[in-house]
Amino acid sequence: MDFDFSVIADHARFLASGVGVTLTLAALSGLGSLVLGFIVALLRLYGPRWLKAIVVLYIDSMRAIPVLVVLVWTFFALPIVTGLTMPPFIAALIGLTVHLAAYAAEIVRAGIESIRPGQTRAARALGLSPAQIVRRIVLPQALVRMLPAFGSLLSITIKDTAIASVIAVGELMRQSETVAGQSFQPIEVYSFAMLLYFLMLFPVTRGVDRLYRRVAHLGRS
Amino acid sequence: MTFDWSVVWQHRDVLAAGTGTTILLTVATMAIAVPCGIVVAVLRLYGPAPIRTVATAYVELFRNLPLILVVYWAFYVLPILTGLGLPPLATGLAALSLNVTAYNAETFRAGINSIRRGQVDAAMALGMSRGQALRRVVLPQALRRILPVLASTWVSLFKDTSLVSVIAVAELAYVSMQIRSQTFRVLEMLTAMATIYWLLGYPQAKFVDWMQCRFKVTE
Amino acid sequence: MSDTAPDARREKASGAKIIRYRGVIKHYGEFHALNGVDLDVHAGEVVCLIGPSGSGKSTLLRCTNGLESIEGGDIEFEGALLARDERSLRGVRQRMGMVFQSFELFPHLTALENVAEGPRTVRRMKIMEANRRALAMLAKVGLSDKPASYPSALSGGQQQRVAIARALAMEPDVMLFDEPTSALDPETIGEVLNVMKTLAEEGMTMVVVTHEMSFARRVGDWVAVFDAGRIVEQGPPEQIFDAPTTERTRDFLSHLGWAG
Repeated sequence: MDFDFSVIADHARFLASGVGVTLTLAALSGLGSLVLGFIVALLRLYGPRWLKAIVVLYIDSMRAIPVLVVLVWTFFALPIVTGLTMPPFIAALIGLTVHLAAYAAEIVRAGIESIRPGQTRAARALGLSPAQIVRRIVLPQALVRMLPAFGSLLSITIKDTAIASVIAVGELMRQSETVAGQSFQPIEVYSFAMLLYFLMLFPVTRGVDRLYRRVAHLGRS
Repeated sequence: MTFDWSVVWQHRDVLAAGTGTTILLTVATMAIAVPCGIVVAVLRLYGPAPIRTVATAYVELFRNLPLILVVYWAFYVLPILTGLGLPPLATGLAALSLNVTAYNAETFRAGINSIRRGQVDAAMALGMSRGQALRRVVLPQALRRILPVLASTWVSLFKDTSLVSVIAVAELAYVSMQIRSQTFRVLEMLTAMATIYWLLGYPQAKFVDWMQCRFKVTE
Repeated sequence: MSDTAPDARREKASGAKIIRYRGVIKHYGEFHALNGVDLDVHAGEVVCLIGPSGSGKSTLLRCTNGLESIEGGDIEFEGALLARDERSLRGVRQRMGMVFQSFELFPHLTALENVAEGPRTVRRMKIMEANRRALAMLAKVGLSDKPASYPSALSGGQQQRVAIARALAMEPDVMLFDEPTSALDPETIGEVLNVMKTLAEEGMTMVVVTHEMSFARRVGDWVAVFDAGRIVEQGPPEQIFDAPTTERTRDFLSHLGWAG
């Protein structure tokens, strides 16, 4: 049982490109899901009834369907329905964004709903309009409370990019599979991949833990 | 572009079997990961320093790895570690259990820690041992906070079982995609797969909501 | 240096020494919480510990039943040195009752279950017997109509009375009260102090950390004034409140607006 880690050095550039794709995919779908999530949350909180129902259906469906299924469907089935073909990266981006936005929306909603009604009452008594209340009183406080949850979501986003390997996106997981397959040294390659993912994720989860501790006392109202 | 949705019905037996495996994996993993999670949490909270470090390292490791990678890694490493050729199902179960145990350990630890120290003091002032205080005072209260999180973890686990499809475990995702390859009915099979997950997962998600309502912590 | 008044002035000094503190020292890292405390508690005495916040009163109480350990000096309980190991301490704690400022009732149990918990789990009493004793204790504190209520449904004063009943159910030799009324609304303070007064009249040995000066004056047999981890003056209430002999005591009382 001897291990030869030189295989990693030989394919360093290839694996590094995987890291790049992982981070890009995570950043873009993270941003996209944040924006979409915000919109969805606001629609759910302040929109008309029929829209609320649709939004709730969307959110709960994303809680029920695995990411793998969403990605596979987006890449293979969506082109059949829409007639457009899309490269794997775009399919992964769309799939991840749509899936994660549901969770982002819930985070936003929970953050906004956690603001005591006394706050909005006080703001109305001062004469602020509903839009001003949301913008200047509710959101700033809510954002602070949302931060730790968003940090967790970022961690999940990075981990979910690995699932995109299933639809042949060249992120780290996929590149590792390729090298492992060619070199017949899966243990070395996958161990190294584990190390890389750990190095990417550990600072994020640590940061989130710290944020939770900082924000916990702010969250007492 | 014609769609033939009868493929789904034709292969209902295989799909049912796949669904059964998905459910089996979910139940079996939780059956392992809940007691193991409690053990790891208790070790982390009350164990001697070296054990605490190992337990913490284990939890931190699996919180920071993608599950799909753990599945692949288990597939290649476990046979070497154990010397046996494990069937993919066992490997998948092992990978899932390792992952969920770590999350459960964190859930239990946070739940136990959330109980005010004064409660333990009051219990011990009556003459209870640490173990008695844990069992009679801390855990009953901690359970209120732990159960909703466990329910949420359960639903995530249910979805994560789809990931063991990559090592050819015949759960729902795998069999659906096999049928797709055989019949070339891409849209039909993939939509059917999504729908079955939805039918099973939606009520579970609603159950989690109910749990969180029911066990709302008022303090 | 602590001031030990002559025993002649101490009414209940004839009783056995239930607790003896000899030069007790306690650190929290750099912070010296207790800097050499000497104090005796006799059978049937009500000893009140008063003084500014952070002066070590609560710390001394927590060291008495081993919830905290001490770094120097001795604590004797009923003639024996206080043990350091958990097993022996558990036995000691069964003979001491403690009442906390934040009540610390178990929220998942009813009032009856709270009071019966000690006898059930620690004394391993049968449920029926434990419940019977619990009902008797609840009646003693004036809450016989509330056995099935959960703590969240009770007022602060009621919760604290249940907490007292819970401690009494173990039939302790001494009751330790850690600021029992500091977290209560003014209206409910009286009901708790009355229960404590009754206990004192029945001859219970009590060590009470309190800011209720009129309680200490009227019910206390011996008062110790704490400051920065030591006792600066101790004596009968008449001395401490009416004719204090140290500057510190005078300062403390005047800050409280104590008019005697």
